Amino acid sequence: MENLSYAVVQVVHNFGAVAVVGGAVVALYSGATAALHHKLAWLVGFGWTAQAISGMGFAAVSYYYYDQFPDIHDIAMAALLIKMSCAVFGVSLVIIYLRYSATLAIERRHLIWILLAALGITALTAAAFLRWFS
Amino acid sequence: MRILNLLAISFFLGCYVPVVLAADASVTISSPTDGAKISSKSKIKVSYDVTRGQQGDHVHLYVDEKEIVVLRKLKGDYTVEPLDAGKHAICIKIVNKGHTPIGVQACTNVNII
Repeated sequence: MENLSYAVVQVVHNFGAVAVVGGAVVALYSGATAALHHKLAWLVGFGWTAQAISGMGFAAVSYYYYDQFPDIHDIAMAALLIKMSCAVFGVSLVIIYLRYSATLAIERRHLIWILLAALGITALTAAAFLRWFS
Repeated sequence: MRILNLLAISFFLGCYVPVVLAADASVTISSPTDGAKISSKSKIKVSYDVTRGQQGDHVHLYVDEKEIVVLRKLKGDYTVEPLDAGKHAICIKIVNKGHTPIGVQACTNVNII
C-alpha cells in the first residue's frame, strides 16, 4: 500500500508537470486563439495546483508510514524551495492572466506565457536535483 | 461471506506483509568500532554493509545527526573528513526512494583525540 500511495501521488505530480510546461509551451508556439489561451491558462493553473498538492502528498505519505518527513538537506532543500517558489509564482501569474488578460497588451500576455514556461522548466530541473540529492 | 473472506485476506496482506518485509532490513558498521579513539588529524574510514529490505532504497550517512552524504552502494567504505576533538556519533540510516528513513539504522561512537 505504501508503494501504491507514492505511485498515485507521483502520477498526479507527473501530470501536473506536463500541464505546467506543456500548457505554456503550446500557448507560446501554437498560435492559439485568445479563447484557447484562456483554457490553457486554466490547465497550467490546475497543473501548478496539482504540483503543490502532490508535493505535499509525498511528505504526507512518508509521515503516514514512518512518522517522519523525507530527510533532505542542502541541495535537495534548495531544490524544494525553488519548486515551491515556482508553484507560488506560477499560480499567481495564472490568476493575473485569467483576471486581466482581456485588458492586458499582447506583449504583456506573451511575457506571462514566457514566464510560466520558464517557471515550469525551472521546477522540472529542480525536481531532478530533489530526486537525486538529499 | 466469500467477499468478506476476500476483504479480510486483502486487509491482512495490505497491512501486515510490508511490515514483515521491512523487518529484513539491516545496517552494520564494521569500522570504526564503537568507542574507537582516532586522531583529530586522521580521516575516518567508515566500512558498512546494508541489507535494504523491501522498503529501503539507499542510505544516508550522518555525523552527529548532520547528514554528510547519500550512499547508493549497499556495501563499501566512505571516508569522513577529520573531526574536531571530542565524542562524535557516526550513523547510517536506511531510507526509501523518497529519502524517508524507514527506521533501520546503525551508529558507532568515536572519540577524537
